[in-house]
Amino acid sequence: MKTWLKIFLAVIIIGIIGVVLVYKFVYNKPHTDYSTANAAYTLNVRELFDAYIASPDTAMKKYNGQIIELKGTPDKIEITDSLVIAVFVFKQGEFGDEGVRCTMLREYNEAAKKQKPGSIIRVKGYCTGFSGDVILEKCSILNP
Amino acid sequence: MKINLYLLSCLLLCSFTSAAQKYITKNGHIRFYSDSPLEKIEAHNRQVNSALDASNGNFVFKVLMKSFEFEKALMQEHFNENYVESDKYPDATFIGKVLNFKDINFGKDGLYNANIQGKLTMHGISKEISEKGTFEVKQRKLTGKSKFNVVLADFKISIPGTVVNNISKSIEITVDVTLEKANM
Repeated sequence: MKTWLKIFLAVIIIGIIGVVLVYKFVYNKPHTDYSTANAAYTLNVRELFDAYIASPDTAMKKYNGQIIELKGTPDKIEITDSLVIAVFVFKQGEFGDEGVRCTMLREYNEAAKKQKPGSIIRVKGYCTGFSGDVILEKCSILNP
Repeated sequence: MKINLYLLSCLLLCSFTSAAQKYITKNGHIRFYSDSPLEKIEAHNRQVNSALDASNGNFVFKVLMKSFEFEKALMQEHFNENYVESDKYPDATFIGKVLNFKDINFGKDGLYNANIQGKLTMHGISKEISEKGTFEVKQRKLTGKSKFNVVLADFKISIPGTVVNNISKSIEITVDVTLEKANM
C-alpha cells in the first residue's frame, strides 16, 4: 500500500473516532447524577430560606445552580400528576405558602410519600433559584 | 372602639373576599420548542408559579430559568450559560391581565376564551405582549392554556454563528397551568 494512502486512511479513521467520541461524550453527554454528586453546601432548610429572604442577590450568587444538602421537617408532601415535592413552609406570600420546595427524583418518590408527618428528613438536590420559594430539584432522600 | 372593631371586620372581610377570588399554582407547566432545519429542541419547566385574581383579572407567572429540563445535558448547559444567562437573569416573569375576565364565570364549569395582555420580562428585557388563550373551569379548578411565539432577538438573546441553524429565531411557548382557589 502506498504511503500517501496509509496516511489518508489513518486520518479518516482518526477523524471518525473523533466524531464518535465528540458525539458520545460532548453532544450526548449524560445529565449529572444528582443523587451521587457531592453537595457544595449542607445546612438547615430554614437557614437556606432565610438567606434568600435576607439578601436575595447574595444567596442567588451563592446557592443557585449548586447541589445542596438540607435538613428539616417537611410541612407536607405534595403529590401532583408527575411530581412528588417535600414542602417546607415558612411564610405566606403572593403565591400562597412560601418556603422551600424539594422535588424528588422519580426513584425517591415512594420514599418521600412514606415520610411520617413531623419526622426530620435530609434531602440533597439541585437549587434552581428563588421564586417566592427556594426550589430544589432532582432531590434524593439521604435517610429513606 | 366600635369603629375600630367595624374597621377590623371590614379589613378581615376584604382580605377573605380577596383570597377567595385568587387562584394559584406552583406546579404550572411551560414548554419551550424550537424547530429549526437541523434540530428540534424541546424543554419543560413544571415548577411555574402562577396566580390569577378573579376579581380584577390580574394574572402573573414566574419561571426559574434553571428549572427548564432538556433532553440533552449539553443543550441545557448552552441554554443556561450562553443564551438566557440564567446566573445573571435567573427568572422570567409575566405581569398582566385577562382583559375579558368578566366573561369568565369562575363558578360554572366550561371553556372560556381569554385575551391576555401584559409585560413579559426575560433576559432582563421587558416587552408588552398580547396573546389569546383559554381558561377551563372544571370542578372548582381553573386550567389556563396558551400557545405563542417569542422572537429571541426581541429579548436580546443572541445565537452564536456556529449553531445559528440549530436554533429557531422564534421559539414556541406553550403554557399549561392548573390553578386552584387559594386558602390564604
